[in-house]
Amino acid sequence: MEFKDNIPIYLQIKQYLYRQIITGKLKPGKKIPSVRELAVQLTVNVNTVQRALQQMNFEGILYTKRGEGNFVTEDTTLLEKTKRELINAELDKFVHSMNSLGVSDEQILKSLSEYLKEEHSDD
Amino acid sequence: MENLLEIRDLTYKKNLKTILDNINLNLQPGKIVALLGENGAGKTTLMRIISGMAKNYHGTVTISGENAIAERKAHLSFTDGLTGFANSTKIKEIVKFYKIIYQDFDQNQFEQLRQFMKLDSEMRLSEMSKGMREKLIIALAFSRKADLYLLDEPFSGIDAMARKKIINSIILWKPENSTILVSDHFVNEIASMLDEIVIIKDKTIYTHKSTEEIREHHKSVEDYYEGLYDAEEE
Repeated sequence: MEFKDNIPIYLQIKQYLYRQIITGKLKPGKKIPSVRELAVQLTVNVNTVQRALQQMNFEGILYTKRGEGNFVTEDTTLLEKTKRELINAELDKFVHSMNSLGVSDEQILKSLSEYLKEEHSDD
Repeated sequence: MENLLEIRDLTYKKNLKTILDNINLNLQPGKIVALLGENGAGKTTLMRIISGMAKNYHGTVTISGENAIAERKAHLSFTDGLTGFANSTKIKEIVKFYKIIYQDFDQNQFEQLRQFMKLDSEMRLSEMSKGMREKLIIALAFSRKADLYLLDEPFSGIDAMARKKIINSIILWKPENSTILVSDHFVNEIASMLDEIVIIKDKTIYTHKSTEEIREHHKSVEDYYEGLYDAEEE
């Protein structure tokens, strides 16, 4: 995993874990790797992983069982909300970058639907 | 939180030349801290003073509440390049020596580290590459139980594979409440594992900052570090 070096790493670890959860690589109710395992896997500091996990515990997407580690929530409403937020964040980036190219919102919609039509006709 | 390392008003001269001037530094337990600076900035000298190898300094150095050199030494682990051993010395002979000298040396721990680093006990110092030598130094350092680990440029002149191995061993084997001070003159390749950076410039501590705090300001640690020198050249 490569991190951007001008964004706090704990935020990027959170993004990485959200994705793992949304895509089902980490399943609801299942234990996630230990702090040290994650630190080695991502080549980051243990304290940084700790900080990311603490926040995710606070948000409720993870929960801690004393002495056992961190688990993914089984709260489907919260999981869906997290997924929506991830999608919105991606859309935000996309729209922002289109706007900065001088493309209006209507043009974005039009271009996108044309693009998707073309893409699907290729399949 | 109580400081693990405290340096107060430290000045060090050698042959009437000031090497370090008015150094003040506090490090907390449980951190990985890089000591950065150009070659010749005084990084090794500062480590030698902290470890008690260099004496005749002015000021105080306190580790885990101790400032007498003998007591300080019991709280820290510092390996200075294995320069005291003959080139024909085998790894297993160095281990034997460490066991005698250091009461806190844990041979089981060393075995685990040796296997992780893929080092052969029968190997002689003369047969080892720079990378292997640094791996051995790290394995020896982490086989001791210490509050403070001083690692003097373990990443200089080694390949990417050896660097990765050493970084992983630091992440895996650093005791939770111990602090590591690791010197280097580059930062980009190790930035992701650091809590803080300390930069020595103009004979003193130029800055001491949290890496995540630097990134909060949308700057990379590398740009921040190099920016300090670029500003001077302009």
